[in-house]
Amino acid sequence: MTADSSSSGSFSGFDLVAAGPGASREDAGAAPAPDSVAPGNPSVTALRERFPGAVFRNEICAGDEDVVYVDPARIAEILRWLREDPDQRYDHLADVTAVDYGGGRALEVVYQLWSIPNRAALRVKCELPPDRLEIESVTGIWAGADWLEREVYDLFGIAFGGHPNLRRILMPENYAEGHPLRKDFPLRGRFSRAEQTRRALTQDPEDYYVPGEIAERVPQVVEEAGAAAGEGEGAG
Amino acid sequence: MGVGKPGVAGAGSPAFLTTRLDFVVNWARRNSLWPMPFGTACCAIEMMASAASNFDLARFGMERMSFSPRQADVLICAGRVPYKLAPVLRRIWDQMMQPKWCVSMGACASSGGVFDVYSMVQGIDTVVPVDVYIPGCPPRPEGLIYGLMMVQEKIRGESLANHAALRAEDPLAAGRPRAGDREVADLTGPFGNSTRQNRVSGLVETGAVGRAEDRLP
Repeated sequence: MTADSSSSGSFSGFDLVAAGPGASREDAGAAPAPDSVAPGNPSVTALRERFPGAVFRNEICAGDEDVVYVDPARIAEILRWLREDPDQRYDHLADVTAVDYGGGRALEVVYQLWSIPNRAALRVKCELPPDRLEIESVTGIWAGADWLEREVYDLFGIAFGGHPNLRRILMPENYAEGHPLRKDFPLRGRFSRAEQTRRALTQDPEDYYVPGEIAERVPQVVEEAGAAAGEGEGAG
Repeated sequence: MGVGKPGVAGAGSPAFLTTRLDFVVNWARRNSLWPMPFGTACCAIEMMASAASNFDLARFGMERMSFSPRQADVLICAGRVPYKLAPVLRRIWDQMMQPKWCVSMGACASSGGVFDVYSMVQGIDTVVPVDVYIPGCPPRPEGLIYGLMMVQEKIRGESLANHAALRAEDPLAAGRPRAGDREVADLTGPFGNSTRQNRVSGLVETGAVGRAEDRLP
């Protein structure tokens, strides 16, 4: 055991960290991932019937959490159906977040849905290639997605098309170092500490907290986005 | 503007009147320090405990927390300060009237603490001048009280004779980092559990393992 550790030369734990997360079972190609497992949530089956080409696969996570992988090009359509279909009624968008697995793999956008009438949870995931991080916004479906999508945009750099106010929310407005939760982002940032300090002090704190902005923006934009999306669906 | 002629009795060493005046002024100042609480994290909980009845900061002259910087004498920065908050901290400091002092409470305010990351100010002394650093994570209320008593000790040693030097403040420095680039680099070098240097001794190879890509220039 001692001979083994001395021969390795460096502490392998850190090498593993530096190498990033390893290949998942699916990537290793040992066994192709099952196209689907028997879902616990009837919404998964309903989704497959309603959107045959757009539901790629589903899995069950942590025992009883249903996860559906869908086509990012049709995400707004699918989520609108999940919200408005009388059998689904996922009226609460609990979270929008993203996962970067590193190593050039696809970033996942994760929508965590909850149906208050049916007391059912569903997790919808979209995989985006790292060179094309664009997806349609769902602010027209759930107004609460506004800040969640801004956070994902801020920290992962995923652009939400049709978002009414897509700008940074956590990092400073003049932040120029990129998107910090990406796996390729260095822990201490890209600039020197001196540059970071200087830039930090050139921001104007009042840029973020304008009372008039909050009063004038929120209600109108949400109504317009909802109406516009509704018309688009009706026409299509 | 009288800088060359310190003291009431003319140039040279402070005269009797100046030293007596020093005593009275310093006595008044150090026993009526009103803190401006800039509490951003868990240190602020300890700060509140210090002001509450068990520890009763008012015994030492911090009669009340002054939530307006314009009526405050000592800025207590309690907790971590992200870069987004740095201009707010600097503006509050600029709004405080002279004479004023600054206490950096806890590891995060003093050095960034464990948050050696992209978003965190690595010691508020890069942004504002600091008189007393209180170690601890967070410091106990006794620690904060001791730190404030050190501010009082500092005030006790001040003199009107070198008042101009003590209170020198450049209006053009408002809203700018306190430290220059080189000093910021010196102060904020990585340390803690991922370290190859520490703040006291400068560049020291500790043999700790770090990821090269974390140390991009």
